Order: sequence, then C-alpha cells, then structure tokens
Amino acid sequence: MKKERRLFLKGACVAAVGVAGASGLSIANSSTSKDDGTPNCKYALIHDENKCIGCDACSVACRETNNVPEGVSRLDIEREGPFGEYPNQFYRFTRKSCQQCEGKPCVNVCPTGAAYHDPKTGIVSVDEWKCVGCLYCIAACPYQIRFINPVTKAADKCDFCKETRLKEGRQPACVEACPTKALTFGDLKDPHSQVVEVLKTTPNYRSKTELGTRPKVFRIASQEGEIKL
Amino acid sequence: MSPFHFDSLIWHWPIAIYLFLAGISAGAICFAVLLKHFKLGKHAYKSSFVQAACLIAPLAVFAGLGILVVDLTKPFDFWKILVFYNPTSVMSVGVAVLMVYQVALFSWLACLFKEPILKWCDNRWPIVEKALNILMKFEATITGLLVILALSLGAYTGFLLSALTTFPMLNNPVLPMLFLISGISSGAAGTLLGGVLMKGNPDGKEVHFIHNIEIPLILLELALLFTFFLGLILSGGQSQVAALNAIGEGFWGWVFWAGIIVVGLAMPLAFNLFMTTSAKRKFSYVAITASCSLFGVLLLRNFILYTGQMTVA
Repeated sequence: MKKERRLFLKGACVAAVGVAGASGLSIANSSTSKDDGTPNCKYALIHDENKCIGCDACSVACRETNNVPEGVSRLDIEREGPFGEYPNQFYRFTRKSCQQCEGKPCVNVCPTGAAYHDPKTGIVSVDEWKCVGCLYCIAACPYQIRFINPVTKAADKCDFCKETRLKEGRQPACVEACPTKALTFGDLKDPHSQVVEVLKTTPNYRSKTELGTRPKVFRIASQEGEIKL
Repeated sequence: MSPFHFDSLIWHWPIAIYLFLAGISAGAICFAVLLKHFKLGKHAYKSSFVQAACLIAPLAVFAGLGILVVDLTKPFDFWKILVFYNPTSVMSVGVAVLMVYQVALFSWLACLFKEPILKWCDNRWPIVEKALNILMKFEATITGLLVILALSLGAYTGFLLSALTTFPMLNNPVLPMLFLISGISSGAAGTLLGGVLMKGNPDGKEVHFIHNIEIPLILLELALLFTFFLGLILSGGQSQVAALNAIGEGFWGWVFWAGIIVVGLAMPLAFNLFMTTSAKRKFSYVAITASCSLFGVLLLRNFILYTGQMTVA
C-alpha cells in the first residue's frame, strides 16, 4: 500500500510538472513570436460622430461589397434620440462594427486558430475553413459584433474590407461611401497618415477600453445629445 | 426580457447540459477511485456503486461531447478542433484534457475490471492478458493521472465560462471552483442513485462513505456560492447589476432560491444531517437525496449559463 501511494504521488508530480511546463512554454512562445519582417502596418478607423448623419450609406456599401447576406450585418449605425425640442432636434450616431482590438479576445479564445490577427495589416480576421462554429469568439467579443454567416456557417465580421477593397488598393467600402467624410481610415504606424494627424489633433475616445481590448476604431464624440452617468 | 431568449444570449441550454455531464463524469470517477482505495480494495468491481460510477463516467463524457459536436454550426468539421490547437484558448486546452482524460479513464477501468475481462475472454486472446498486465504495472500512476485529469476537467467547465470578459458575472475567479465542487457532488449523487438502481445495498458501506463526504461538499458549495455573489456585488458596476439581476426577482431568481438553494443544497444537507452515519438507509432515502442533488446541479449550470449572459460589461 505504501509503495502504491508513493507511485501515485510520483505520477501526480510528473503530470503536474508536465502541464506547468507545457503551458509555460506556450506562453513564452506566444510572447516572443515575431512577424517575419513583412511590411508592418496597423490599420485604424476614426468615426466622427459629429459629421455622421446616420444615412446608412456605409452599411449598404459594406453589404454589397462584402456580400453580406440578409439578416446579419458587419456594420450598423446605431441611433439615439431625438434629443431637444423641435426644430432644434438632433440624433446621436454610433458605429457598431469590429473594433479591430489589439487585445483581441476573440483570437485568444478561438480553439482552432480560425480567428487570427493578421500581422501584415493588424486586422483581426477569420479563416472560414478552420472555423467550426463553436460560438466561443462570439461570446468573447465585448462589442458583440461577431455573428455566424448563414451561408458559410462560419463566424464573420468586419475586416476593414481586407479581402475586397484593400486588395484592390482602395479604402474600405464604408469610408468611400460616406457622403460627409465622417470616416477616416489609415495606417497608425505611418506618422504622416491622415488618421495619425486627426488622432493627434482631435479629442477622441474608444469603447470599453477598461476590458484591455485596445480597440483600433476611434470615435470623435458627438457634441450634441445628453451626457449620461 | 424572456428568461430563455434575449439579445446577448449566445450559448443555449445544450452547453449547460454539456457542462453538467462533464462535471458528473469527473465526480463519478473520483468517487470510484476513492471507494476502491479506501473502502473496497481489490474487489471493488463487484460493488454496484463502483459499477454505476464506472458506467456514468464514460457515458456522460461521450454524451457531453456528442451534444457539443451537434451544437456546432459546422458539426462535420469538429475534427478540426482535434487537429488545430491554440494554447491561449481555454476551449482548446480543455479539448486536450478531455482526450487524455478518456485514455486515462479507460486504462483505469481496464485495470479495475481486469478479472471479469479475463474471465470473459476465457484465454481466447493472449494479447489481452499481456496488455492488461502491462497496464497493471502502471496502475498507481494511471490512478494519479486520472484523478488530476478528472479534477482538471471539472474545473475546466468553469474556466471555459470565466474566460469571457464580456460577461462580468461569468468572468469570475470563483466560478471554476464552484463548478468543480458542484460537479464532484453531482458525481457523488449520480454514483449513489445509479448504485441503488443497480440493486446496490442502500445501507452499504459505500453509501455511508459517500454521504460522509457529501456534507462538507455541500457546505463548501454554499460557501462558494456566497463568495461568488457577494464578490460580484462588492465589485460594483456591471458585476453588481449582473448579480442582482440573477438572484433578484423573476424566473431565474426563483430557480436560484427555490431550485438550487432549497432543493439542491438545503434539502440534501438536512437529510444528511438528520440521518446520522449510524442510521439505517433505505432505498427511497438514498434515491431522493441523490435526485435532489442532481436536480440542483443541473439547475445551477443552466442558471449560471443563462443569467451570466444577461448582463454585458
């Protein structure tokens, strides 16, 4: 009996060390992994909530460009209001789409690596083929913008038009479609880009940064509407 | 907001059933190991309670995995989870644990049922005896591994949910411990219920042994539930909103207070306390106490899953 207990403990120690070692190694690997020297850029988007008029041109353009089926959407403009008395009434518009987090909760939880962070562009993307549809990424997204594409059955969301417009060397469909130029798109790593210029000169905010998500969709707060606590 | 349909709901009841089944499998096999090592020894396989636990453990884990696969939006692509691994994903690590757990589980079962297996084979396949003899050499190591893997599996079901920062109620460090302890107590209840249904002696030493462990388990579960919700309330903000939303008025409040606290915890605790270890057990007593526990744990899984997704950070 005594020998058996010793063997039991031995087995337990081996298992514990094995598990600790494996997880330690994987953490070390993930923190030291670097991209292979490819042109590094980090795309970001600014939504100016003052210039936005809620015309939905962006979401319509997105649907057409990226073939988004009915019933789901990669981009929505949410409206609050009206505030104030007629004739001085106004709405507040906020953009609901992928925030392209640097903290990437969806990528961290994806069991197959179907949700991944593209090192060349900094865009959070989905590998349709690898996705099995476990919905873990959808639950993990604090902005609740991921959805299951009814056609492909895979998780889907905004990818800054990486597979459509960016490939053609153009700006994302929503940015091109916006009639009031409320959207600014560009590379954060380029110090002369328009995004960097706007971010440096205009007060802006990001949503739910307290969760450690470090989103790359910046917002310029609407000056109209109520202030809520 | 209806209790089973709301905007932020992503994972539905099949996931709660899976969490329940994984927990009961882990708990049942823990009790089979405990019974063998502390009460029954070599002839453990003859006990109806050990047999029940050894049936529940693999069947529950298979059923749970089956539910999980069917619940995917692409069920036929489930093998991709087994091929591609992401070390930062709790689910990926959990799948690995589940796979190794099953290997350890069947190795241990083979060791436990060595005699009946050999008898059944009747010297027909000498390779079986050879393989079993090799396994028996590592029995102690397999047992150790199995217990660790079972505990990991029980805790994993909690970590799976607590990794979601989106939902302040789920993103809670107490959740894995709560799921582990309630999973073990559901394993105890499953073993007892299965054992008496399989004509085990309701007054046997197995029942007395498990009932002795059940009292501290229930007390621990109550303490963990208290810590879980008080922790959320003291954190303030959306955590507080989530906690009060869950255990306050409404459908899920009733489920919590009447179903989980009264039927699932207080009643089995009262039965165990009033029926001292020396008293004689009857079939109905064991079956009812175990059913209450199982019902409570099943409700707890559904309650945490649904109310957890109601409030977004």
